[in-house]
Amino acid sequence: MKRLTSSFVVTLLVISFIMGISLATLGAEKKVVINSYMADPAPKETLKQLVAEFEEANPDYAVTINTYPHEDYKTLIRTWLPSKKASPDIVTWFAGERANTFVDKGLMMPLDDIWGEGKSFEDYFPRAFKSISQFEGETYFLPQSWYWWGFWYRKSVFNELNLEEPITWNQFLDVCKELKENDYTPITIGSKFRWTAAGWFDYLNLRVNGADFHMKLMKGEVSYDSEKVRKVFEHWKELIDKGYFIENHSSYSWQEGAKFLFNKEAGMYLMGQFIQDVVSDEKIKEDLGFFRFPIIDASVPIAEETPTDGYMIPKNAPHPEAAKKFMHFLATRDAQWFFAKKLNRIAANKNIEPENYDPMVQKGLQMINRSDKVTQFYDRDTKPAMADKAMDQFVKFMAKPGQIDQILRSLEAERKKVFE
Amino acid sequence: MNKRKFAPFKFLLIPVILYAIWVIAPIFYTIFLSFTQWDGLTAPTFIGLGNYVDLLNDPTFYTALFNNIKWLFIYVLVPLPLGLVFALFFNRKLPGVKIFKTAIYLPLTLSFVVLSQIWTWIYQPKYGAINVTLKALGLGELTVAWLSNSDIVTYSLIVVGCWPQTAYTMVLFLAGLQNVPTEVMEAAKVDGANKWQRFWKVILPLLKPATIIAVAVTIIQSLRMFAIVNVMTRGGPFRSSEVLANYMYVEGFKNYSMGYASTLAVVLFLIILLFVFIYLYQIFKTEVEY
Repeated sequence: MKRLTSSFVVTLLVISFIMGISLATLGAEKKVVINSYMADPAPKETLKQLVAEFEEANPDYAVTINTYPHEDYKTLIRTWLPSKKASPDIVTWFAGERANTFVDKGLMMPLDDIWGEGKSFEDYFPRAFKSISQFEGETYFLPQSWYWWGFWYRKSVFNELNLEEPITWNQFLDVCKELKENDYTPITIGSKFRWTAAGWFDYLNLRVNGADFHMKLMKGEVSYDSEKVRKVFEHWKELIDKGYFIENHSSYSWQEGAKFLFNKEAGMYLMGQFIQDVVSDEKIKEDLGFFRFPIIDASVPIAEETPTDGYMIPKNAPHPEAAKKFMHFLATRDAQWFFAKKLNRIAANKNIEPENYDPMVQKGLQMINRSDKVTQFYDRDTKPAMADKAMDQFVKFMAKPGQIDQILRSLEAERKKVFE
Repeated sequence: MNKRKFAPFKFLLIPVILYAIWVIAPIFYTIFLSFTQWDGLTAPTFIGLGNYVDLLNDPTFYTALFNNIKWLFIYVLVPLPLGLVFALFFNRKLPGVKIFKTAIYLPLTLSFVVLSQIWTWIYQPKYGAINVTLKALGLGELTVAWLSNSDIVTYSLIVVGCWPQTAYTMVLFLAGLQNVPTEVMEAAKVDGANKWQRFWKVILPLLKPATIIAVAVTIIQSLRMFAIVNVMTRGGPFRSSEVLANYMYVEGFKNYSMGYASTLAVVLFLIILLFVFIYLYQIFKTEVEY
């Protein structure tokens, strides 16, 4: 009898506990679950604050954020999307080819009705963003923020050596030469995780052959084993042969590569705006400047890399209506500005006046506004399998620049395997 | 009587079911997947032996396989005998022996990820402990980029692996030495056997069970090596330090070629099976009683 009573008590406790949980969520009727890869402290906190603001304005909504480490997220999302039970309502994701991969498989929900009455995508975002957000005529991707790439340098070093920001390739070579003669390693890079080398390939290809050819290459429509691609590697080889890159760069992560810029061992670093996130010293941060990747062929329209992050709603989202309401909020000027300001990114929303931004960000924004085309990044524009194999070849090329022929052949073989 | 007969099976039932669900079934599922093309999103499509044909034409597969064989040979030739030497040495009552025993055993308690991270710093080409020491000794020309020189990177990684592996085999041998009866040793001494004779004729044969386990474990460890490679180089630079387990991981979880990754898994499984089988076959063929 005693045992019966105690088990009855335990059961009661368990039930009341479960009820307690469900009662707590019952207060807010409309649930939204966001799965997010913003695991770094600053972006994570910013998204949390954004959600708090939304919930304050809409008390009948309850938004849950589940945060996952960036790399794990890319694998995990493939298990959520096809599942009716595990699917979240909103996922953070990347614009362009990576978004298209899921849209293509019918795993995403179109966002055409989130803009509010009489409004459309173009009321919120620049027309140029359509190409990375819309697939087969429908919007699937909500862009949030993006950043630019450039050559980062120390203003104090350039001042000391009387150097100016180079605009053309020849000016750039002169800067490298000058730096080298003054015992600076002209260019630093940390290629352990390979994508930094892909940045070099992207920019050289954009400057030598232009964005249209680059995108065809990314989509696997043209051959790697061609004179055009060879020219890209030859420009790269010139820098390697002259010893302008830092030694043993494949031992370093991108952050370790950046340290050589911060401690003035190296002169320049081709990197995204997020390099500012890893400067711990305020003085160094103020001393950092950047310039556009130099122009190689003036007849080629200028293109820049603008990797864009944002949100999508999976097809299997359990609460699509509530999710759309939140997506509408995320698209608004205020929400976008809140996020961009905190993190020094550039908001995708076009209604934010440029003068609001930090002067450094304004310079980046201007640079992009004066470009003709934008691309995402090598591993965002092409298929994952191609990116993986190609990035190996880029790092190999930097170690063994004499093997251009072999590398071009390997790249072409991989393209055929992946795309045909 | 009947009840008694079935009792062990009843106890085994739950573990066997769990084992079947979580170990046996996935093996068969992986074998099935190796005949398909699957991106992890849509349903797998059957492509017969396509993945296996690709595998035979894949240079990275051969690099990885060759590197695994390097791991295997060095693992059997270095940490295994070294572990035995340490075990024999520490199997005596000397002052302070426990401290040294613990010191050698300690790396085994570290997670491979932590261990790899520490060694990444030791190998760092500019400020790492090894190169700094070499420079301080005036041996600057011996400094190498340990992890970015494609010719030596695999050996640099194997050194890291040998460290805990030595400790592991030492523990196995120490346990084995506990089972060597002192009477036998004393009898050998009385009969006038010298140290070498005692080692070769008495200790080593009696250590056979421990040795069998140590060798089998060493083979398996070397062939399924993943953590050190993944943390320290991710198989780089340009796949020169790749091993099968990491390559499988990259193909499956980075490139989303689950079918191809499964093929690599099956091949790795077969290779381990082959090596362990050959080894155990040799052992049991020459089984002798003492």
